[in-house]
Amino acid sequence: MPFDCKHIRNFSIVAHIDHGKSTLADRLLENTGTVEKRQLKTQMLDDMELERQRGITIKARAVRMEYRHNGELYELNLIDTPGHVDFHYEVSRSLACCEGAVLLVDAFQGVEAQTVANAYAAINEDLEIVPVINKVDLVHARVDEVLLEMEQSLAIEPEEVIRASAKTGIGIDDLLAAIIDRIPPPQGDPEKALQALIFDSHYDSYRGVITYVRIIDGTVTKGQKIRFLKTGVTHEVLDLGQFVPQRRSCDQLAAGQVGYLVCNIKDVEHVHIGDTLSVPGKDGAAAVAGYKPPQRMVYCGLYPSEGENFEELRESLERLAINDPSFEFQPESSEALGFGFRCGFLGLLHMEIIQQRLEQEADLDLVQTAPNVTYQLLLKNGETLEIRNPQDVPDTGQIEEFRQPIVRCNFLVPVEFIGPVMQLCSDRRGVFLKTEYLSPTRAMLSFDLPLGEVIYDLHDKIKSVTRGYGTLDYELQGYFPADLARLDILVGGKKVDALSIICDRRDADRRGRAIVKKLRGEIDRHMFEVALQAAIGTKIIARETISALRKNVTAKCYGGDISRKKKLWAKQKEGKKRMKSIGSVDIPQKAFMAVLETGAERQ
Amino acid sequence: MNSRIRHAYVHVPFCRHRCGYCDFTLVAGRDDLFENYFTALGVELKRLNQPIKLDTLYLGGGTPTHLGPDGVKRLFSEFHDALQPLPTAEVTIEANPLDVSESMIEAFHECGINRVSLGVQSLNSVTLKKLDRDHRESDVRQVMNLLGKSGLTVSVDLIIAAPGQTLDLVARDVEEIISLCAHHVSVYCLTWEVGTAFWGKRARGTLTPVVEDLEREMFELVIDQLSDAGYKQYEVSNFAQPAMTCRHNEAYWDCRAWEAFGPGAARFDGRNRTTNLRSVSVWIKKLLNNQSVTGDVDTMTAEGAARERLVLGLRRRCGVDRPAFFQASGFEVDDLAEKSIQEWVAAGFAEDDGRCIRLTRSGMLLSDSLWSAVL
Repeated sequence: MPFDCKHIRNFSIVAHIDHGKSTLADRLLENTGTVEKRQLKTQMLDDMELERQRGITIKARAVRMEYRHNGELYELNLIDTPGHVDFHYEVSRSLACCEGAVLLVDAFQGVEAQTVANAYAAINEDLEIVPVINKVDLVHARVDEVLLEMEQSLAIEPEEVIRASAKTGIGIDDLLAAIIDRIPPPQGDPEKALQALIFDSHYDSYRGVITYVRIIDGTVTKGQKIRFLKTGVTHEVLDLGQFVPQRRSCDQLAAGQVGYLVCNIKDVEHVHIGDTLSVPGKDGAAAVAGYKPPQRMVYCGLYPSEGENFEELRESLERLAINDPSFEFQPESSEALGFGFRCGFLGLLHMEIIQQRLEQEADLDLVQTAPNVTYQLLLKNGETLEIRNPQDVPDTGQIEEFRQPIVRCNFLVPVEFIGPVMQLCSDRRGVFLKTEYLSPTRAMLSFDLPLGEVIYDLHDKIKSVTRGYGTLDYELQGYFPADLARLDILVGGKKVDALSIICDRRDADRRGRAIVKKLRGEIDRHMFEVALQAAIGTKIIARETISALRKNVTAKCYGGDISRKKKLWAKQKEGKKRMKSIGSVDIPQKAFMAVLETGAERQ
Repeated sequence: MNSRIRHAYVHVPFCRHRCGYCDFTLVAGRDDLFENYFTALGVELKRLNQPIKLDTLYLGGGTPTHLGPDGVKRLFSEFHDALQPLPTAEVTIEANPLDVSESMIEAFHECGINRVSLGVQSLNSVTLKKLDRDHRESDVRQVMNLLGKSGLTVSVDLIIAAPGQTLDLVARDVEEIISLCAHHVSVYCLTWEVGTAFWGKRARGTLTPVVEDLEREMFELVIDQLSDAGYKQYEVSNFAQPAMTCRHNEAYWDCRAWEAFGPGAARFDGRNRTTNLRSVSVWIKKLLNNQSVTGDVDTMTAEGAARERLVLGLRRRCGVDRPAFFQASGFEVDDLAEKSIQEWVAAGFAEDDGRCIRLTRSGMLLSDSLWSAVL
């Protein structure tokens, strides 16, 4: 059934994590009759079990609903957005497909860092904001205060805010009405040349790449030839349709609509989020503005525990990359860890997700090095280098300028924690920008901070100094010169390349001391003394010693003891297998993260 | 299979009280279970296809002497013909000093027991108290005197590195043991086992283990004292006057087959080690209901068994003799551990004369750190 633009609404829900986005999506699906209540498993949009059962993967990132309002039938497309800062770019592409955004704020938690970041992202895309305060039925709800916070931080009129409870269904029909009344219909012409924005994709083992699109102008039909503007490649549309929420084929998608295309593409790398689709030839439309290649901000080394698993690791990484083109990897080698890969991620969360999937899907024992950000080096000979691995930093003599990424951080904190957060940020060499009071109890602090400091431990630290109430969000500002140096770690006199870090020269003593101290706790005693040293160049700046084992022998080993003792020894052997030997020192894998985990000792 | 078994162990799981460091299979203050224990043991012994002629028989616990003289006799009557010590057999019983009396020694003689392993632990009242023992140092002196006249071979268990113990206290304990003329001494550094009262007290900070450096010093001191007095260290924890080694324990370390009876007891058929259920009451109940009491089974490959033989052999001071090892296991030592042995020799942890490999003292003191390379 073709819908004209006037009867289509495309929207996203933006919120801070845990403010009830998934529950609200469920309620919308239920109230529009898209999914019947008895079929509705909680958190439909997040639930992958259904897909697993069928052996396919649907990222249900776009759901089509129908809703009758004032006697007329409307098509509502809910486009999901990733909530986390790592995926800012993907968020902006999803929002570019919408005319409106439902801004969801928890009536107890109030406005938080990602609320602000995501709301601004939506405002920047010129979207109509439909503000909702969720969980109003909670005993501890502080509705009036949160309304004030929304007004102060985002200039939202309190009377525009819909009071709702996604859990119990309060206000859901009001919200559906507001979506239709307030969000403008898409402006598109089905007769014009095809212009469609790709906002997501995933790999299906039966059908190849499934491309998620918003049709801006024109119409796409089955069998039609389409062109991917960035790569210039032309493909035939084999199938198309919408998610309701499972995939449902249809004959055409026209201007204003959201859906999927299947084009017999075997490699997800050929489909770029943010790219534009049009028709081949000179009549094709122009690209939608704003395409950016994914920007990896965080790198770490991944090594197989067992050297012989290198090829297996490569295959696993390739499989993961099929579904996630924003993740990249390149072979590298380390004296300490052997052969492995340097992997690039959008951010720390992205890194964790990839790691988890690797562990779940590949069943490989991995050694991960501490993550680092990318640095820029201007050499004396005028050359610029991008540094993804501390090992690649050349001699100090060759370096003209060492630059690091700086991010603008917004912290949303209860006012009583302003002091500790200020202190924390200045310790981390942050540059204070401003404080805004959102309500008598909450404030927003802005700082420019080195990204390296943020990924080091800032997130955990903020949580701990604000007792869990503080949140932060950040955005890259660019690369700026700083007084940086490579700090090396020596174990038993041998440099362990995988433990090198880049840090501010003024922090080197403190970081060095903290790392060797941490390592001392991570490395078991050996049958000989083990020296741990931190050095910049040839200068040793910190030292710890692990004293030799003096006595380690089972006293009783009679008939009944032998099996038990053997199990114990076998366990030690297993533990040893998962360690890396540098010289004759066994270093547990956890130790390679020691450079990150020193946060606890920092203050 | 039975025909080649020459060794048997019987576990007597009763004690007057449980010491704070002990995690053995035993019940304290449950003398009411004696009768059922005897009956159940009878059932377990009847499961043997044929009687075993024994080179060694070892009654361990728990405290076998807690059964009393009549109880010990009753125990032996349960053996009937199933366990038949040969005339030259070594028959050992573990004893608490408080239980050893004239009538107990008479019972030993009557049963054919010729070796007593006495749980002395210390001869210092403070250490004994710290260790939660129920006997006093004067009991030990009196009992050693009685045993000295009995013609029985006497072995003494000693614990060192007890909380609060000093080097000097250890030295004095050992001196006195030597003066009491024990034929054999087993010395154990106190082991902190999960689940014991000591473990909990350590976690709460009310008991503090001796620091490792001192522990090593204590152990080395004991080795020197006993060696000087003519005791030869023939295994990590065991010292004997000439020809007084414990043949039963040597059978374990030689990987010979042995039978075992009683709760938590482990038997070995040359390849598999099976351990009985540890719970005394469950072991009794199952046997009285004619059910199996087998718990853990440790099944080894031929190579696994050979590797175990290597470890047990290296814990002995005589070390591992290459031809004998190959003869017994079918594996060449060097095929199993050549590289490790070379490393140990280079690091001063072992000596290798081309035929025999033995650990040095420092290798022995750190030996648990070596085994992961060979197991």
